[in-house]
Amino acid sequence: MGDGVRKITEYEWEVPVGFTPGMRVPGRFFLSEGLKKSLEPGAIQQLANVATMPGIVKYSLAMPDIHWGYGFPIGGVAAFDISTGVISPGGVGFDINCGVRLLSTPLRVEDLRNRRELVERLYEAVPTGVGSKAALRLSNRELEEMMVAGSRWAVEHGYGLPGDIARCEEQGAMRGADPASVSQKARQRGLPQSGTLGSGNHFLEVQEVKEVYDARTASLFGVTKGQVTVMIHCGSRGLGHQVCTDHLRTLEAATKKYGIVLPDRQLACAPIVSPEGKAYYGAMAAAANYAWANRQVITDLTRKVLAKLYGIGYEQMPLVYDVCHNVAKMEVHRVDGKEMQVCVHRKGATRAFGPGSPDLPTGLEGTGQPVIIPGSMGTPSFLLCGTVAAMEKTFGSTCHGAGRVASRTQAKKSVRGKDIRDQLAKEGIIVKAPSEASIAEEAPQVYKPSEEVVRVVDAVGISRLVAKLVPLGVIKG
Amino acid sequence: MPYEILEHTADLRFRVTGRSLADAFAEAAMAVCGTMAPNCTPGEVERRVELEAEDTEELLADFLSELLYLADAGSLALCSFSVKIEGNRLTALCRGEPFRREKHGGGEEIKGISYSGLSIYRQGASYILEFIADV
Repeated sequence: MGDGVRKITEYEWEVPVGFTPGMRVPGRFFLSEGLKKSLEPGAIQQLANVATMPGIVKYSLAMPDIHWGYGFPIGGVAAFDISTGVISPGGVGFDINCGVRLLSTPLRVEDLRNRRELVERLYEAVPTGVGSKAALRLSNRELEEMMVAGSRWAVEHGYGLPGDIARCEEQGAMRGADPASVSQKARQRGLPQSGTLGSGNHFLEVQEVKEVYDARTASLFGVTKGQVTVMIHCGSRGLGHQVCTDHLRTLEAATKKYGIVLPDRQLACAPIVSPEGKAYYGAMAAAANYAWANRQVITDLTRKVLAKLYGIGYEQMPLVYDVCHNVAKMEVHRVDGKEMQVCVHRKGATRAFGPGSPDLPTGLEGTGQPVIIPGSMGTPSFLLCGTVAAMEKTFGSTCHGAGRVASRTQAKKSVRGKDIRDQLAKEGIIVKAPSEASIAEEAPQVYKPSEEVVRVVDAVGISRLVAKLVPLGVIKG
Repeated sequence: MPYEILEHTADLRFRVTGRSLADAFAEAAMAVCGTMAPNCTPGEVERRVELEAEDTEELLADFLSELLYLADAGSLALCSFSVKIEGNRLTALCRGEPFRREKHGGGEEIKGISYSGLSIYRQGASYILEFIADV
């Protein structure tokens, strides 16, 4: 580990000011001794780089799934003072509002006969992989409405249940979305892709609730042991990628214009209150809303497959919750005893608002928000709950997934997709993907153990374990 | 080998070699487009790219980003690139074919080209480009 990085509690580490020139605040990350072994020096450097950005408040933070990314580390969280701070696409990433939602069903695991047929039907219904096109045909006007209204647009157009909206972070639509800041190029990419899963680590997974750690909270979330659930992981597709690319370029120029000195060009940024900063925020919010609509359309496709195959009602599959893990948001947090308006960047990190926080669904005001942490293919996922400690320590944030330990190239060298598929089939998990390589790249052994990552966030208190979900069938992009 | 993939935990980190800067840019284009749509053969599709940037690094990021846009928005597989660079100006003629899942499917989507880890340098007579693509 790098110079001066010191352990301050069992799971908390500090990167001191001075680790890299120009740091304004220290870095803090959360890690167990077991997870520390896989931490790359590049990730700590990126954490330190973020600490040099103007207006950063308290700490440059990283969750236990920290790893080497670009710009911010993956697992990175940073809050910037709204009046003096900056906003940066490097703190959000190309896949704006990449996120996860969890759908409950009335099915028990023993009801899932013909599991292979279920996976085949889902694979036919949900477009996956490079070059896939949606059945949904949007007009320019509809795309514009979708970028403003997000999940609500999709529900109003017949792709969901009214109750779905309240079960999304931000009710599935960030305020301040500004389609005028979304380029024609981004729109062209977005038009044919709404309702598609994409590729890489995106997936749709049928799961069983294997263990419940907190029955009361699980029941409030609508989840019981032995129940079948569906998890959907995807983002804003080409529209979001183009928004990031376009604004990265304008913010690069803005970085110079406002005299901001940065150790990495990917951290290009502008004051939140500047025209360039506002334009990026408006476009990013529009892309985030597009992503919520995207997950909503995929939810609709999924419900229809399950309803038809198992003779259950569409409305019997309510949404547990939907979280985003690549986003920047305007939030109010208590800093040193005072309320402060900040722009919280979460790059590969999940909001984990605790009891009494704003934006909690009706009935969960005293509980905290559901937090959904996907495992890698073949390993468990977890349902957790936001906490007061997260509000105090991490601007209401927690981890977002298992976090990779091996590169895609290493994965392809060391494992074969077919072997993984056969191994998972022996364990009763059916995988369907466009290629063997895409299975190898996402093999369970290239990720940190998801159990260990969530154990750390639970032990630190920045979210609380509620239930464990194990995979039964996966479709991948 | 015109390009190799270096270690990076989460994303794809490319190192591309060329006899000239333009040649290296063309190889970078092959690396990126070949990752997304393998098995492409240059066919009837032609796209012209003209760009100007502040510096060579930005020119590379812009060029590759433009290819991501062209491939995605036009549903194309691209695989032949004739690149000219004068100062910080680039023109390229890109050829390929319409994307078909049966032929070009199974590739990996590249979401964007990052400035983190982007570097351009000379090694002997060769030009080397290194960059990280978010997948």
